[in-house]
Amino acid sequence: MLHYASKKVLRAVLTIWIAVTITFFLLRLLPADPTLLVVEGDMTPEMQQALREQYGLDKPLFVQYLLYLGELLTGNLGVSFRQLVPVADVLLARLPWTLLLAGSAFVLTILIGIPLGVYAAVGRGKVVDKLVQFLGITSNALFVPSVAILLLVVFAANLKLFPIGGAIDPDTRGLAAYASLLQHLALPLFSLVLVQVGPYALTLRTNMLEVLGEDYIKSARSRGYTPRRTTWLHALRNAFIPALTLMGLQLGTLVGGAVLTETIFAYPGVGRLIYESVQQLDYPMLQGAFVMLALTVVLANLATDLIAMFLNPRIRT
Amino acid sequence: MKRYRGTGIVAGIAAAALLLSGCGLNEDQGEQPDAEAGASTLRIGTTTDVANFNPLGSLSKTDSWILNAMYPQLLRIDGNAEKVPELAEGYTLEDDGATVIYTLRDDFEWTDGEPVTASDVKFTAEAIMEKQLGNVAAKLTWVESIEAPDDTTVVFHLSQPYAPFAEGVGFWMRVVPEHIFAEAGDLSAFANDQADGWVGAGAYVLDSMTRGQRYVLKANENYPYAPEGGAAVGTVEYVVYPDVNTMILALRNGDIDLMGTPVPASAAASLQSEADITMEEVGSLGFAHLTYNMQNPTLAELPVRQALSMVVDTKSIISTILQGDGQEMVGPISPIFGEFDNPDLDAYPFDPAAARELLEDAGYTDADGDGMLDGLSFEVLCDQSNANLTRVAEVVREDAAKAGIDLTVACIERNTFLSRTKDGQYEIDLSQWGVFDNPMDQLRSTYLSSNPGGINYNLVEDPELDALINDAAATVDRAEFVEKIQGIDEYVHDQALLTPLYVETFRFAYRSDRFEGFDPSPSDLLGMVTGYSLSQVRPL
Repeated sequence: MLHYASKKVLRAVLTIWIAVTITFFLLRLLPADPTLLVVEGDMTPEMQQALREQYGLDKPLFVQYLLYLGELLTGNLGVSFRQLVPVADVLLARLPWTLLLAGSAFVLTILIGIPLGVYAAVGRGKVVDKLVQFLGITSNALFVPSVAILLLVVFAANLKLFPIGGAIDPDTRGLAAYASLLQHLALPLFSLVLVQVGPYALTLRTNMLEVLGEDYIKSARSRGYTPRRTTWLHALRNAFIPALTLMGLQLGTLVGGAVLTETIFAYPGVGRLIYESVQQLDYPMLQGAFVMLALTVVLANLATDLIAMFLNPRIRT
Repeated sequence: MKRYRGTGIVAGIAAAALLLSGCGLNEDQGEQPDAEAGASTLRIGTTTDVANFNPLGSLSKTDSWILNAMYPQLLRIDGNAEKVPELAEGYTLEDDGATVIYTLRDDFEWTDGEPVTASDVKFTAEAIMEKQLGNVAAKLTWVESIEAPDDTTVVFHLSQPYAPFAEGVGFWMRVVPEHIFAEAGDLSAFANDQADGWVGAGAYVLDSMTRGQRYVLKANENYPYAPEGGAAVGTVEYVVYPDVNTMILALRNGDIDLMGTPVPASAAASLQSEADITMEEVGSLGFAHLTYNMQNPTLAELPVRQALSMVVDTKSIISTILQGDGQEMVGPISPIFGEFDNPDLDAYPFDPAAARELLEDAGYTDADGDGMLDGLSFEVLCDQSNANLTRVAEVVREDAAKAGIDLTVACIERNTFLSRTKDGQYEIDLSQWGVFDNPMDQLRSTYLSSNPGGINYNLVEDPELDALINDAAATVDRAEFVEKIQGIDEYVHDQALLTPLYVETFRFAYRSDRFEGFDPSPSDLLGMVTGYSLSQVRPL
């Protein structure tokens, strides 16, 4: 068991190292130069050289890489090219917003997606199934920015039910602050859930259909268990295993995919930070953000694996 | 039910996230602001956060807007693109222009109560020179020494006379408080965020911020140019909307009162019909252009460049692509610079047939009979993020084909574009200059063969042009100086080093049902949001 766990942890560390390395070299392979973005118009060659030195870009690529890895091991993500402050500080300020948005989208997607998938599978071929399939395909085809703008125009601009952009009204205190937080969260959350829930429900429906045809379900029914109990307890339990894996992967998509949502809804999370940092070619900031995202996904998967280990005796032995 | 624990953990993470951002919501915002009677708040939309608070090295537009309002400059640019007094009452030249003397007002004061003095100006310029900070470092190239003989006099000694020195430094340099910055250590990174708040002396000074959302500035009571009794707008709030469409919705909804960024041409018509919104038209200090790489042997031939200039239909480009929001220009000097723009120049006519004739006279033929003249294939490099220019590229490509010139359009991602232009990897550069505050700096940066600022995108090395520019740069007499600039305007036009496309007119939208009295300056860098402009605004 310890052997299994340590193997998993080692693999997680390896994955993060690969992610860090790819990010590092990918950014430096871009045919662009961050120093050019610092001064608009006149920039003397001396100034450019000074900036290269300040950014550490004057050293050979491999030396830069080793230095970066060394700093990373001591927990130092470096200093932002553009903001001139430690990357970790900026990320930590932005992370809660992304966790809030992506985390609640994640939970809501599951809470809505599971019943939809189950009902569709049980009522196969009926209206409810057709509706779920329709929703699944439509939601999969939706383009987040279009949905986001549409929601803003209808619910914020025309109906004035929600604010346009931002995460919270900084002038509110106490309970009003929480209300403001939820109000600002509603539309970006809804657009994220809308595009995620369809594919999720469809996957679960397929799994359920497969499981519902298994012998043990038939035997459970023949033993006199109610259809409801068979479906929700016996079938869902097994249909849920592949869906669990999907969830782990989805977390990464959600956090990373928040880029567009956060940009349109002016939500101050990591996604928007990445969007801005790409435009500014802020290497340390981008590296830090990607390391953090990789870490989130890897940890989530590691957690899933370890939980599965405790739940599944076959892995344990 | 064991397997459902996965969901429980996820829900736990989400709950923790909720708590993380939830516990003590807005506690770092300090006291809840009271609805202050009398002082009104103006909210401005911007697309980016403040990246960097360092007034000596900062660059993004939002940075500039906020820092320009906080730190006084010696001169400012008024609505006619003329330099007018700000911190300096004026300046005089001595030693045939090799000595520049600014006289400062004595009533500017830092928000911590210290007066703004000549020694702050001297300190700022010396710090910039020592560390080569920002684009101001290039403006100070000629400075040998600086003196501050008394509190209101600053003397710059130059190695040689440079005509627009006083204007360039006066406009670009943000003066910082010596008593704070001298103690700060590394000035290239210092943000001036004191424990007890920011210290500035401009019209508005930063008071608080919520990163990613908003930046709040308070009016400086001691700003000498505010109307009698102080600025009517007591608080300026910058609100961040990364997506311009979201920002437009926010303006319509009344969540903001002014869009700091210009309205895109595509959205202008719909905003026009809104009764509560007015769009103010503001000129620009830059212009869009096609610039030819003179290191390319074919483009180095004059008839080829002239022919290219004759396939660009600027009139229809302005009326269709800019929807009329632009002005034509003939030579390299923008009409916004008034007297410097040579009135005797005639634009190259739009005439693809004549262009083809010109090329055939120069010896170009169509041997393979494909309709295109042989050896006349060029790539037009442009910045994809400028929607207008990508459309211009297509129009020009089609018209050039009529003259037998084969253009390929390469509109690429902005950062790659900048990198390729810097390295001279292009044949024709289609781009837009941002801000030139005076024509002399522009000509010097864009045409000197020594390429001092790295933006001689023609890569032209012409001793005659060099001589003309250096001669004009040392000319102190105003009339003579104007005449020499006009002469260079004509020379560059005759050489067809560039084909100017247009001077864009920016439209800034604001809630005219709430505010009036903006005093805009040209360019999207200054626009409606200079400290001076904001201090003149009145609520309705």
